[in-house]
Amino acid sequence: MIGYNFAYLDEQTKRMIRRAILKAVAIPGHQIPFASREMPLPYGWGTGGIQVTAAILGADDVLKVIDQGADDTTNAVSIRGFFARTAGVRTTTHTAEASIIQTRHRIPEFLLRADQIIVYQVPQPEPLYKLEPSRAAAKKRHALADYGEMHVKLYEDITRFGRVAVAYDHPVMVNERYLTSPSPIPAFDNPKMHKMPALQLFGAGREQRIYAIPPFTAVRSLDFEDYPFHPGRAPESCALCGADNSYLDEIVIDDRGGRMFACSDTDFCESRRGETP
Amino acid sequence: MSILLEARGLDKKFGRVVALDNVSVSLRRREILAIVGESGSGKTTLLNTLAGRIRPDGGDVFYDGGAGLRPLSALGELGLRQLQRARWGFVQQDPRAALRLDITAGGNIGERLMASGARHYGDIREAAAAWLAEVEIDPSRIDDLPKHFSGGMLQRLQIAATLVTGPELVFMDEPTGGLDVSVQARILDLIRGLVRRLGLAVVIVTHDIGVARLLADRLVVMQSGRIVEAGLTDQVLDDPHHEYTQLLVASVLPA
Repeated sequence: MIGYNFAYLDEQTKRMIRRAILKAVAIPGHQIPFASREMPLPYGWGTGGIQVTAAILGADDVLKVIDQGADDTTNAVSIRGFFARTAGVRTTTHTAEASIIQTRHRIPEFLLRADQIIVYQVPQPEPLYKLEPSRAAAKKRHALADYGEMHVKLYEDITRFGRVAVAYDHPVMVNERYLTSPSPIPAFDNPKMHKMPALQLFGAGREQRIYAIPPFTAVRSLDFEDYPFHPGRAPESCALCGADNSYLDEIVIDDRGGRMFACSDTDFCESRRGETP
Repeated sequence: MSILLEARGLDKKFGRVVALDNVSVSLRRREILAIVGESGSGKTTLLNTLAGRIRPDGGDVFYDGGAGLRPLSALGELGLRQLQRARWGFVQQDPRAALRLDITAGGNIGERLMASGARHYGDIREAAAAWLAEVEIDPSRIDDLPKHFSGGMLQRLQIAATLVTGPELVFMDEPTGGLDVSVQARILDLIRGLVRRLGLAVVIVTHDIGVARLLADRLVVMQSGRIVEAGLTDQVLDDPHHEYTQLLVASVLPA
């Protein structure tokens, strides 16, 4: 790590981010503005998550980075490599071994523990932005807990499709107070956020917001009494490990319409098959 | 009948333009009050101020929500919002501005219910269908998008979407403006029937003396931000005292 401060960011910046994180933990689900820095990767690749990770990383932490559940995609490999080089921390692909997990669009299948922290990369932290284009008006709605109209979208979905058609980024109520974006995780993962033992941190770099869900906090997905929230999942089993309870990716395998379903969480799938690289 | 809404000494300026100049007016329960006047006389500003959409520079609006007259300014922002979306209603002149055109008719009617906390899809839908029938739109059109509706249907949809929460006070800003005459007559008929049957109090802004005569119990005439004449509708229109009111009444074409 010659030539860099530990974990790339300078100490003043990390301190500023930690302050935002502390505030975010104190007010579950509430978006805290922070002075997001220019990072050596483009917006949309996880600049928010990487700054949060940099601010909380210690020398003996073990880092895991996933992208859509996979440890071996460009984004995951690059961010893991980045911290291995700038902080010299140990990295892993095993969920159970990691103390910090940075994720894009998934929550690992293995249950997280109280000694772990999960850091989400968030493109759009404002769950109201489609309903309320003005940020000032959206902030006012948050202040007044004025979220009733969010159900209009759900009403329209049920009317047109017979069910709620939000497959990802399904808005949640955190601690029955703040409406929060879970980041674009599949609706399948929403229930895992409820009373999760691990601390959940969310970083949105371009939008300059940090928010958090402290351990064991109530997280409820929006729904109707007579159309309860339904975490969607392909009605198949994993073609590699046979799991019938994990979130599946549909993979096209030839140009004649052949396709297979496989676990999106590669670590989960590999450990079930007994392949531990 | 007790007083439901009362304005005392309202002042409002937009830059140097005086929109309201010491305006006081009161509305009783189940009463229909018309505000008439020419364009720029301040009648829409008065309506918006009464409805809590504009904060006056001076004076205050008082509302009796069951515990006596209280100033709107003491309600707080959340209290006012809850009032506006449940116990009050606002019908705009242009339904396209008030409705969401890319959301089904049922969704538009259900919006106020959901905003006030309704969380049962079946109940919301049932209420929406019942209100469509109430405003004489075929309930089978519940899943149609309002952008395919005619102007008159849109206005009726807006009325349904406003009344679905069972408000006790409705503000209307030229609800029949921009519609052709035969459609106007049907909308007026509908409003008159609903208002009487539901026992609503209404404040309606219009520049059409005919609308005021048909609907209103009482009438205030505005000119340059001031109320120049007020009284029972028939009294004012049959025996106008102020010269501006005389001009207004005289300019109606004989039927």
